[in-house]
Amino acid sequence: MRIKEGYKLCKVRESSIVVAVGDAVMDFNGIVTLNATGELIWGMIENGAGDDEIIAEIMRKYKVDESVARADFAEFADKLKGAGFVE
Amino acid sequence: MSIYRIAEINVKIEPIYEQLRSRCKKYLSDDCGAAPQMKIAVTEDRIQKLSVRAPALSAEECEYMLAGADFYGGLMHFNGMLLHASAVALDGRAYLFSAPCGTGKSTHTGLWQKYFGADKAKIINDDKPAIRISGKDALVYGTPFSGKLDLSENAAFKLGAICFLHRSEKNEIRELTEKESIYALLNQSLRPADAKRMALLLNTIEAVLGLSKIYSMGCDISLDAVKLSHETMMKGLTPQ
Repeated sequence: MRIKEGYKLCKVRESSIVVAVGDAVMDFNGIVTLNATGELIWGMIENGAGDDEIIAEIMRKYKVDESVARADFAEFADKLKGAGFVE
Repeated sequence: MSIYRIAEINVKIEPIYEQLRSRCKKYLSDDCGAAPQMKIAVTEDRIQKLSVRAPALSAEECEYMLAGADFYGGLMHFNGMLLHASAVALDGRAYLFSAPCGTGKSTHTGLWQKYFGADKAKIINDDKPAIRISGKDALVYGTPFSGKLDLSENAAFKLGAICFLHRSEKNEIRELTEKESIYALLNQSLRPADAKRMALLLNTIEAVLGLSKIYSMGCDISLDAVKLSHETMMKGLTPQ
C-alpha cells in the first residue's frame, strides 16, 4: 500500500489532518481528521512500512492482541482505499 | 501606479472597471510612492476567460472577483487568511460569524447593529474579512472585497472570537473541539492547491486557534440570538 501523490498528513496543534494538494485537489476537495491510530498507520505507510510491520507496531504501542491490531488496521486501510488515498 | 493599503499590506492594483475602482477607493494609500508588497494584475484575458465560465457575471464583476481571489491567495504569504464571514466590531474587538452562503451571517450581524446601535457595532466586512497574525495578536481587517454589498471599513480590530452559524429554531451555542474548528475554518476559507500555501494557511489556522475561541451556534432571527452569541463570546475572550 502506498499513499497517492498529493495527499499530505499535517499537524495542527494536537490534531492530525489529511489534505489534498496539487492535482489531488481535483479528486478530493475535503479534509479528513485522523485519530492517534490513524496518524500512526498513515505515518508508517508514508515511510514505506509493510502491513505486518504496522500491525506489530499497533500491538506494541496499544498493547493489544494481533487479532485486534489486524482488525484495526484492516478497518483503517479500507477507509483509505474507499477514499482513494492509497494505491 | 495605484497603491492600496489593505490589511496593512501595500497592494498594487490597476482597476479597469468602476466596481473594483470604487470599492478600493477608501483603501488608497496615503503614500503613493510606497513599494508594493503584493501585485494584483487582472488582465482583460482573465476577465474574458472567467466570463465564459460564469456568463451571469458582468465583466466588472469578473474583475472584482478575480482581484479578490488574487488578494486572498496572496494574503497567505503575510500570515493571513480569508474567512467567509460577516465581521462585526464592538468595544474594540471583532466578532466573526461564518457560514455557507444564505445561512444568515449578515442577518445576524445586522441584528447586532440593531441591538447595540450601528454607531457601536460596526460591520468591518460583511463577507470576506482578512485575518492576520501579528506577533501575539490576531487582527481582523476590512477589505474592499466584501460581497454583494459594499459593507466594509478600512479598519483593524483584535479578533474577539469566531462563530460558525447554522439555522435552528432553538438558540444554542457551544465551543468547537480543535478538530471541528480546523475543519470548519478550512471549509470557509480559500483553500490553496499548492503544498506551500497550504502549509502557510495551516500555520495561520494554528495561530488563530491559540488566540481565539471558536464556537458553533444554531440560531433564529432574533435579538435573543444576539444576546446569546454576544454573552458567550465575551465570556470566552482571552485577556487583553
